[in-house]
Amino acid sequence: GQQFPGKPKITRCRSLEKDTFSCWWKPGPDGGLPTNYTLFYSKDSEETVYECPDYRTSGPNSCYFDKKHTNHRTTYNITVMATNEFGSNSSDPQYVDVTCIVQPDSPVDLSLETTTSAGVTDLWAKWSPPPLAHNSSNWRLHHYELRFKPEEEEKWETVSVGVQTQYKVMNLNAGLKYGVQVRCMLDCGEWSEWSPERQIQIPSGQLPPEKPTIIKCRSPEKETFTCWWKPGSDGGHPTNYTLLYSKEGEEQIYECPDYTTAGPNSCYFDKKHTSFWTIYNITVKATNKMGSNSSDPHYVDVTYIVQPDPPVNVTLELKKPINRKPYLVLTWFPPPLADVRSGWLTLEYELRLKPEEGEEWETIFVGQQTQYKMFSLNPGKKYIVQIHCKPDHHGSWSEWSSEKYIQIPSDYRVKDMIVWIIVGVLSSLICLIMSWTMVLKGYRMIAFILPPVPGPKIKGIDTHLLETGKSEELLSALGCHGFPPTSDCEELLIEYLEVEDSEDQQLRQSHPSKNTRLASKETDSDSGRGSCDSPSLLPEKCRESRTLPSKLPSQDVREVHENNAGSGWETQCVASSEDRALPFNIAGTKSSTWPAANVHPSTFAYHSTVDAPKVTLSTTNVNVAPVLVGNEEKHQSRYSTSETLCEENLEKQQAVEKMHSKNDQSTIQVNQNRLSEKSSFLNAKLMDYVEVHKIRQDEDAAVLLKHKENSGKIEKYTIPGTSKEYTKVSTVVDHNILVLMPDSRGQHTPVSQEPAKEMSQNLQQGQVEKNLSYCLPAPGECQREAGGSEYMDPSSFMPSFK
Amino acid sequence: GLLLMALLVSHMFLAKEGVTSLPICPNGSVNCQVSLGELFDRAVKLSHYIHFLSSEIFNEFDERYAQGRGFITKAVNGCHTSSLTTPEDKEQAQQIHHEDLLNLVVGVLRSWNDPLVHLASEVQRIKEAPDTILWKAVEIEEQNKRLLEGMEKIVGRVHPGDIGNDIYSPWTGLPSLQLADEDSRLFAFYNLLHCLRRDSHKIDNYLKLLKCRLIHDSNC
Repeated sequence: GQQFPGKPKITRCRSLEKDTFSCWWKPGPDGGLPTNYTLFYSKDSEETVYECPDYRTSGPNSCYFDKKHTNHRTTYNITVMATNEFGSNSSDPQYVDVTCIVQPDSPVDLSLETTTSAGVTDLWAKWSPPPLAHNSSNWRLHHYELRFKPEEEEKWETVSVGVQTQYKVMNLNAGLKYGVQVRCMLDCGEWSEWSPERQIQIPSGQLPPEKPTIIKCRSPEKETFTCWWKPGSDGGHPTNYTLLYSKEGEEQIYECPDYTTAGPNSCYFDKKHTSFWTIYNITVKATNKMGSNSSDPHYVDVTYIVQPDPPVNVTLELKKPINRKPYLVLTWFPPPLADVRSGWLTLEYELRLKPEEGEEWETIFVGQQTQYKMFSLNPGKKYIVQIHCKPDHHGSWSEWSSEKYIQIPSDYRVKDMIVWIIVGVLSSLICLIMSWTMVLKGYRMIAFILPPVPGPKIKGIDTHLLETGKSEELLSALGCHGFPPTSDCEELLIEYLEVEDSEDQQLRQSHPSKNTRLASKETDSDSGRGSCDSPSLLPEKCRESRTLPSKLPSQDVREVHENNAGSGWETQCVASSEDRALPFNIAGTKSSTWPAANVHPSTFAYHSTVDAPKVTLSTTNVNVAPVLVGNEEKHQSRYSTSETLCEENLEKQQAVEKMHSKNDQSTIQVNQNRLSEKSSFLNAKLMDYVEVHKIRQDEDAAVLLKHKENSGKIEKYTIPGTSKEYTKVSTVVDHNILVLMPDSRGQHTPVSQEPAKEMSQNLQQGQVEKNLSYCLPAPGECQREAGGSEYMDPSSFMPSFK
Repeated sequence: GLLLMALLVSHMFLAKEGVTSLPICPNGSVNCQVSLGELFDRAVKLSHYIHFLSSEIFNEFDERYAQGRGFITKAVNGCHTSSLTTPEDKEQAQQIHHEDLLNLVVGVLRSWNDPLVHLASEVQRIKEAPDTILWKAVEIEEQNKRLLEGMEKIVGRVHPGDIGNDIYSPWTGLPSLQLADEDSRLFAFYNLLHCLRRDSHKIDNYLKLLKCRLIHDSNC
C-alpha cells in the first residue's frame, strides 16, 4: 500500500572546495509515490531553519552550500525531510562542524636546525599552524605530523608530533642531507597537505683523526736523514702530528727535533741526532679534539736508506789522438754533499745515453770512477747522456743528472773521399771496356775466356759405331775378341809370371838393370798386360787361352803324378806354387781391369793336402790382396814364389823340401818384408827375370843350387865358370817347372833342360805354346812371337790347374 | 798455419805487459814487501765481498724463514759485539785514531771467528736450507779468516810491536742455534745474520775510511 516515505539518511557531508561544502543523503523507501526531499538546517543553537540553497550542484540528493552559506566555526544541524502525498519523514539530524569537514591549510614557517653537543647532533624542526581566515579558530587544536627522509632516498619516515609546533629528530646520519615536511589536522576532519619540504645538511661526525702512515725515510749523504708521513682524515677537527722515536737498546722516547726543514709532514734528523748501525723505531701520532691515533712503528737503520743527489759538473771533452779515431771523455763529480774523499761514503756510477731521436737508452755501469771514455759513437749524430749514482752497498740510485748533449763532429777525411771517388771511376771504366769488348768481339771473347771442352778422340773408335751400339764390331776394331772376358779369360788376366824363390834377393840384386828396364816397361800402360784388352797380345792370348788350358791340366797332373813318388815333394811343390800367390803385375792404370786380381792362388794350385803351406798361403794372400787391389803405385809386382824348380831327385826333393819349407817361410818373410817395404823398386826386381845359369847335367838347377849352397850368399850369384845369363820365365808348368823364354840376344842353353825333361815330355804331349815347342829342343831356333815385345806374357800360356 | 804460429809467438813476446800479474813476494823473503796500499786494497776488496755475502745471506734467510714472524721487532736485542764501542757516525769515525780503529777492526774480526764457524756448521741443520745459504756461510767464514790475516799484517806494518790487542767479545750464542723449538732457533739465526750484516758493513766502512785516510791522504 501506499504510505508515507521512509526516513532518509544523510550519508556524508564534505568540503570539496574551500569555503563550501556539500551534503548527500540517501533516500529511504519512497512508499510508492513520488517523493520530494528538502533539506533543512540550522546553525549552532539558533532557531532559524534554513533550507538548502542549492540542490543541484552536487548532484541528486545533495545539497551544496556555497561560500555565502558556509560559515566556519559553525555547527550545522542538518536534517532532510522526505515528503509525499501521504505525509513526510525526517532524517535524523546531522551535526556538521564545518571546520571538521574542511581541509585545513598546511602548517607554515617550517624551520630546521641542528645542534651538536657532546658529539651528538640533533635536528630541530619548528613550524607554525596554518593561518585561518577567521581568527577564532585558534581554539581548535591542530594535530601535526612530520615526515623526513635523506635526500637520496625514497621512503619517508613519518612521526606523529601531537599538538606541538616543534619536534626534535634524532638518529640522523651525519653528513647527510635531509628533507622535512609537516602537515596538520584538526581534531576532526582531514589532514592538510604536506608543507613544502625543507632540507638540511647534517654535519659530519666529530671523530678522532685517522691513523697516519710513514711513507719513507731517506738520507742524502749518509750523515742526516728525513722521514715523511701521510696524514689520515682529520675527523672534522684540526689535527696535530707528532713524531716519536726510540733507538735500539734504549728505553727513552724522543720527539722529532725538526718538523720544518724538510717541509710539511716531515721530520729532519740532523747530524747530532743521526746514528748508524742502530735501528730507530719511529711512530707518528695524530691528535685532534676528539682524540688521537698513532701510526704503525717504522724500523729503520740509516745505513740502508742512503739515496744521494745526482752527480754534478758533467763535462765532455773530445780527444783527437794522432792516427786514431777521436773519442769522447765524459767526466763528472760526485754530489757536493756526499763525502767521498774521506771514504765515508763510496759511490758507484752508471750512465745512460741514446741518440737524440732514439727511443731506448743504453745503460752502462761505470763503477767507482768519475770518468768514462766513449769510442763507439757515430760521427755526425747528436747524443743525450745522463749519469746517476748510488752507494756501493745498499741504498738506492739517485735521480738522473740533467741531460747533456753531445754532438759528434762528422769526420770526413778528404783522403777517404778521394780514394772512393777514384775507385768508383775506375770500376765504371772497367765495366765500360768490358761491355764494349763483349759487344764487339762477342763470341770470340767468350771462347777466349771459356774454352770449349774437347770431345774424346780415340783412334779406331768410330763414334758412330758407339752410338749404334754394336759391340762386336767395336771391339773387333779395337782388336779384342770376346769382350767382356769370359771365365776362360781369368787366367789371362794374369799378366805375367813373376818368379820369386828363395833367391829372391839374389835375383833382386843381380838383375837391377834388367829389372828396372822391365819396371819401366811395365809402367807403360800400353804394354802387354796380358789381359784381353791389350791390343798387341790379345788375339794370341785369347786364342791360346781357349786351346791350351784344356790340354794341359790333365797332362800335367799325370805328369806330376808320374814324376812324383807321391811324396811330400809334390805337395811341397804344390805348396810352393801355392805360395806363388798372385802372379800378375799391377802397374799403371789397369789394376781396375783385373778383376782376377782377387783370384786366389788356389786357382793355380793343386789340391794340397798340406795344411801348413796353405796357412802360409793364406797369410800371404792376406798380405797381398789388399795391396793389390786398388794400389797402383806400390807393389808393382806380385811375384810368385816358385819353387817350381823341383828336382826330380829325391835328394833334391828333400833339399827342395827343405828349401820349400824354408822358402815358404822365406818367401813369406820376403813377402811380408816386401810388403812392409815401401820401395817398389825391389818389387820391380822381383819380376820375371830369372838368372839363368847354365846347367850342366850334373848340376842342379841353377836357381835352386844357389840357395842350397849358401843362403847367406845372397848376393853372389855366379856359379863360377858360369856366365850370367838372364832369361825370362815364360811359364811355369806343373808348378814346379820353369819354362824359360829363349833369349834372343844371346845364346842360351835352355837352362831348364833338366827340368825341361819333364817339360818336354809335357810339352811334347801337347803344344803348350808355340814358343816352347820350338824353343826347347832347338833353342837357336826359337823365335819370338811376333808381338813386338821381348817376352810373352806367360799368363797367356798359363794352364788352368783347377 | 805457419804464419799464425809466427804471429802468436811474436805477440807473446811483444805484448807481455798485460798478461802477467804483479809479482807476489815469495814466502820468507825478507827484502820483498807488498806495499801498504796494496794490502789495504786487498783488505777492502775482501771486506766488501764479505759484506756483500752477508747481505745476501741475510736477505735470503729473511725471505725464506722470517716472513710474518716479526723478528725485526725482537732483533733490537743487540749483538754480541755491542760491548765493543765502535764509532757510530762519521764524526766519531774521523776522530778515532787510526791505530785504535785498526785494533777495533781486528777485534771485531776475531770476535766473529767463532760464531762464523758455528754458523757454517749449524746452518746445515736447518730444515731444507737452500744451497745458496749453505755455501755463503762457508764462504764468509773462509774469507773472514783471510781478512783477519790481512789485517794483522797491516797492523804489523802500521804499528809494529803493538802487542796485546785485547779487543775481543766472546760469543755465547751457540746453544740458541741448537734450540729444539724451531721458532726460537730461527730467530737466533736471524739475529746472528742480522748482526753479521751490520758488523761486516762496519768493518767495510772503517777500512775504506782508513784506506782513504792513510793511503790517499783523505783524497779518495
